[in-house]
Amino acid sequence: MSIAPVELEKPDSAQELARDVPWVTIVWNDPINTMSYVTYVFQSYFGYPRAKAEKLMRDVHEKGRAVVSTGSREEMERDTEAMHEFGLWATFRKDD
Amino acid sequence: MRLPFKTVRAGIRVNLDSPERMILVQLLGQLDELLDDGLEVSQDPLAAIVGVSGRDFDPASDPEADPERPTDPALARLLPEGNRDDPEASAEYRRLTEFGLRARKRSSARLAAQALARNSPVVLSTDEALALMKALTDVRLVLGERLELRTDEDAEKLHERLWAEDGNESWLATASIYEVLTSWQEYLIAAVTKHR
Repeated sequence: MSIAPVELEKPDSAQELARDVPWVTIVWNDPINTMSYVTYVFQSYFGYPRAKAEKLMRDVHEKGRAVVSTGSREEMERDTEAMHEFGLWATFRKDD
Repeated sequence: MRLPFKTVRAGIRVNLDSPERMILVQLLGQLDELLDDGLEVSQDPLAAIVGVSGRDFDPASDPEADPERPTDPALARLLPEGNRDDPEASAEYRRLTEFGLRARKRSSARLAAQALARNSPVVLSTDEALALMKALTDVRLVLGERLELRTDEDAEKLHERLWAEDGNESWLATASIYEVLTSWQEYLIAAVTKHR
């Protein structure tokens, strides 16, 4: 990623990291973004190879959502924000 | 066939004619205005351009609504919830990111509009092409919200409804613009992918 990490003040993050609970970024299906655009975003932002980006895109389209990245809460908030900048419908949450 | 966007050595050449580019510049300007902080109006300017009045939306009718969430559904689509399970995390995400997101979306819209307003032949740099791709997506999200595209089926039926003239005049006008933008967006993605 080319974006420098931003230090955010989060009182509960240390505790969560300590428990080593991974967080995930989910992209949800929407009727407006095209398959080629979603694939393009997954390739260009996450640096995924074309095949992986297309697989994730098909999951979003067919299953209604896909986990596109995994990591700390801060990282997942950053990925969610990047997806929102691209106009994709994304959320972050603690992995089940 | 003349492609709307073509990969050339210097970047992405825009083969849209001047009136077509002016439509884009206008729409991008309206997007910029819609994203202007504190300028939340019931009738959004994009809708005004394409002759669709904003749907009535009364935030007071939904006592559960997050007070910080934009009341205009199109704006809410541009700046969505960050977390669906935890309202507190969602509110915190919005506090931390909304200002920056609005600013970056507006700056993409402006960069793209400035480039398209140049004299022909317009050749976009990589940054300008990416800005146009993002801003075009945002314009389509706003128009799609106004067209009430909620499911994949709605989107698939749009083309059919357009040809059957199944809808009132303003719906058909918005749907036509939406279709044209979708097609331009696809050509732009193809050109950018090739340029990389």
